[in-house]
Amino acid sequence: MTGTEPVLEARDLHVSYPGTPVLRGLTLAVRRREIVGLMGDAASGKSTAALALMGLARAPGTIDAGEVLFDGRNLLELPEAELRAIRGRDLAIVVQNPRAALNPMTRVGRQIAAVWRAHREGTGGEAAVRAVEMLRRVGINDPERRASAFAHELSGGMAQRALIAMALAAEPRLLIADEPTSGLDVTIQAQVLDDLARSVAETGTAALLVTQDLGVVANYCDRVAVLHDGVIVEDRPVADFFAAPEHPYGREVLRLQRAASGAALAPADTVTDETLVEVRGLSKAFPIRGSDKVVQAVDGADLTVRRGETLGLVGESGSGKTTVGRTLLRLEAPTAGEVRFRGDDVTAARGGALRALRRRMQIVFQDPYDSVNPRWTVERIVAEPLALHTKLTAAARRARAAELLELVGLSPELLGRRPRGLGSGALQRIAIARALAAEPEFLVLDEPTSVLAPAAVNGLIELLRRLQAELGLAYLFISHDLTTVKFLCHRVAVMYLGEIVELGTVRQVFERPAHPYAQSLLAAHLEPDPAQRGRPRTPLEGEIPSPVDLPVGCRLASRCPHAEPACAAARQVLTPMPDGRLVRCRRVAEGEISAEEVAA
Amino acid sequence: MSLGGAEAAVTAHSKPSRTRRRPDPLFALGVAIVAAAVFLALVGPEIAPYDPTEATLFYNEAPPPLADWPGLLLATLTGDLPQPPHWFGTDASGFDVFSRVIAAPRTDLAIALAANVLSLVFGVLLGLVAGYYTNWATALLMRASDVMQSFPVFISAMILVALAGRSTGNIVLALCLLYTPIYIRLTRAEVLTQRKRGFVEAARAMGSTELRCALVHVLPNSLAPALIQSSVTIGFAILLTAGLSFVGAGVRPPTPEWGLMISTGANQIILGEWWPSVFPGIAISLTVFGFAVLGNALERRYDGN
Repeated sequence: MTGTEPVLEARDLHVSYPGTPVLRGLTLAVRRREIVGLMGDAASGKSTAALALMGLARAPGTIDAGEVLFDGRNLLELPEAELRAIRGRDLAIVVQNPRAALNPMTRVGRQIAAVWRAHREGTGGEAAVRAVEMLRRVGINDPERRASAFAHELSGGMAQRALIAMALAAEPRLLIADEPTSGLDVTIQAQVLDDLARSVAETGTAALLVTQDLGVVANYCDRVAVLHDGVIVEDRPVADFFAAPEHPYGREVLRLQRAASGAALAPADTVTDETLVEVRGLSKAFPIRGSDKVVQAVDGADLTVRRGETLGLVGESGSGKTTVGRTLLRLEAPTAGEVRFRGDDVTAARGGALRALRRRMQIVFQDPYDSVNPRWTVERIVAEPLALHTKLTAAARRARAAELLELVGLSPELLGRRPRGLGSGALQRIAIARALAAEPEFLVLDEPTSVLAPAAVNGLIELLRRLQAELGLAYLFISHDLTTVKFLCHRVAVMYLGEIVELGTVRQVFERPAHPYAQSLLAAHLEPDPAQRGRPRTPLEGEIPSPVDLPVGCRLASRCPHAEPACAAARQVLTPMPDGRLVRCRRVAEGEISAEEVAA
Repeated sequence: MSLGGAEAAVTAHSKPSRTRRRPDPLFALGVAIVAAAVFLALVGPEIAPYDPTEATLFYNEAPPPLADWPGLLLATLTGDLPQPPHWFGTDASGFDVFSRVIAAPRTDLAIALAANVLSLVFGVLLGLVAGYYTNWATALLMRASDVMQSFPVFISAMILVALAGRSTGNIVLALCLLYTPIYIRLTRAEVLTQRKRGFVEAARAMGSTELRCALVHVLPNSLAPALIQSSVTIGFAILLTAGLSFVGAGVRPPTPEWGLMISTGANQIILGEWWPSVFPGIAISLTVFGFAVLGNALERRYDGN
């Protein structure tokens, strides 16, 4: 595969924004039929690099020096007209947000046809045929009908595929995909990437995949280039990189994955028998405006969290896992069910009693930039719970805030800073320090790692484990990133369309998932380990339906490979299995489907 | 596995601090004009060469030709003249137009500022309530402000002043009634987004009362649009104050006020005596322009963040 002439080669490329250099001598080559992964931190300049390879810089950025060789010609010195002819025909780009990249006013098929006609000879009729063919190639069902759809009629995964189809329409020699699946759920991500890889192989295109996701790199790339501080610090075949990264940054990124692939599951010695949080029949329905229908976000969830334990809550977006966390803390009022914290009824608490309870159970949100007041200093942010719940003096609060920062591994020098200019990893630690300020016993962690760069994720997970060991905290860890769940949680609950479909220990669920949905979720998970590439997947058909007008029977029945007519007839119940886990599937309960071994 | 590594990673993620902003010439111009207006409002009547409300012995005297101005200025500074020249001429009542033009900001700016501050305070508070609690009462409030805004501003102000009487206080109240809905609307829109932000939710989750969330977190983060708007609103309030005087619904003569000056001078324009009206007209245009430019520059700064 490799070893042939490069399709595109960047040499010593320098790109800067006014006053800030972003790329400082990027050198990178992509060869024919090769998929190269470009990794790096959030602000490392990956997207800048992707654009610069097409001779573009987003204003006010400028390409200051270097060359981008394509067909022996330097793109940076070509006249604009020739460059435009090359872009789209020979070099195509797929951006991160597919909905924003599709024209909302034009049918998808026409947009794809337009790209083809701009670069190839042919009639409009041929172009239309070609567009349908491209949509079929990227794995879209019923492409004739989808070609006449508008962007808003497509789901996220479908829109991303349409964009890939558009990029591949003119049979480019290099496809640059900038985080093509970062907004998609794991099951969809696997489908889209499988289709992308197959299309690339069929058309003989080379591809550059810009990503932060080690699973994507490990499973789809031939070679990986790591961008750090504006230069490529590592550029090697994927297997070599995962076996032994050379640069300290690469080692940092891979640290957690390497630990998780060993036997380093969350240590069980922190777990006690003391029940801390007990959730019974928790339901939340959101009324739909102008209709008497409801969105049944959570439907009868039963959970317990013991002191010192981490319960993972996994599922695709729309499965209701975030709503569980929010209703549990009464940030939303549940429609039914009860939540007890050490026996105290959280659902019935009012006013002062509720505020007192809230001191003992805290939440850390997904987006650290959004969850701190941008006008406040770090000191004031961290000390906010102290100001609310204690009568400490300003000096005592300051001292405690400094302590808290040290506890989460940050320097107390940050106290005087404001959130602006701090990285997402540091801000998330600040959010955790704030949550810990009132000394709670229970934390809801709502996807705390999803906007963090890989290295920051590792640090955060280690921090959470350390805090649990030191303070005996209990966590409800909500995440769709199965690698972090595996590393942090003791037990895990899998949610699908508002219901818990399987609840068991991490080992049970991750190694031998029983419920068909858990099985396909685990199978779709891209293990950050190139050795496990190509392991068989049992993908689910289609995408997660909307939680309105839910069926009476099994909610997975329409997508489940094991479904029988009887599944759709009766409501499924969580049934205890011989090994102690709970599974909501009549066929599993009757022993007709066995737990499936997943290489872990 | 050490935390040292993680910490290094954390600091490495810190984004570089922003580069210094380039100076904005429009912003500087806006600041200069507004500063001049404020300066005149503070000391204008005191530094005026003539008493702005006392007639001189000269009626309808034309301003000296521009060519003579340097010489006259020099003579004034050295004290060679028996009395200061009438730079902008005198009007039909014998008032010195220049003195009245520079004395007027005290009236115009005071009315505009007072009306603006009042409507800003009411508007922001009501907007906070309307954005925070969406129920029938706040819906009613929003519809009421729709009704207020659907009348032509100028005519509404005229009617209000006509009904309540021609006093400075009533003019301020009329302007305040007209401008409050704008602030309600702006603040409400911002509150609607800010109250859903994570830090507000976090404050609630840590046991903060709803009132504290509203005042400590949502309010300070929702002020920017209203503050930017207020610069533009002051400009328009000056224009409206002058307009009311022009149609006889504003301050009473002989108070030095630009609109009133234009109005009293308007009859003479047809006789070729343009100066009693044109100079205050230029003053109004400049001031309104200054505030508008300042607001514009502030808005761009805010958006750039």
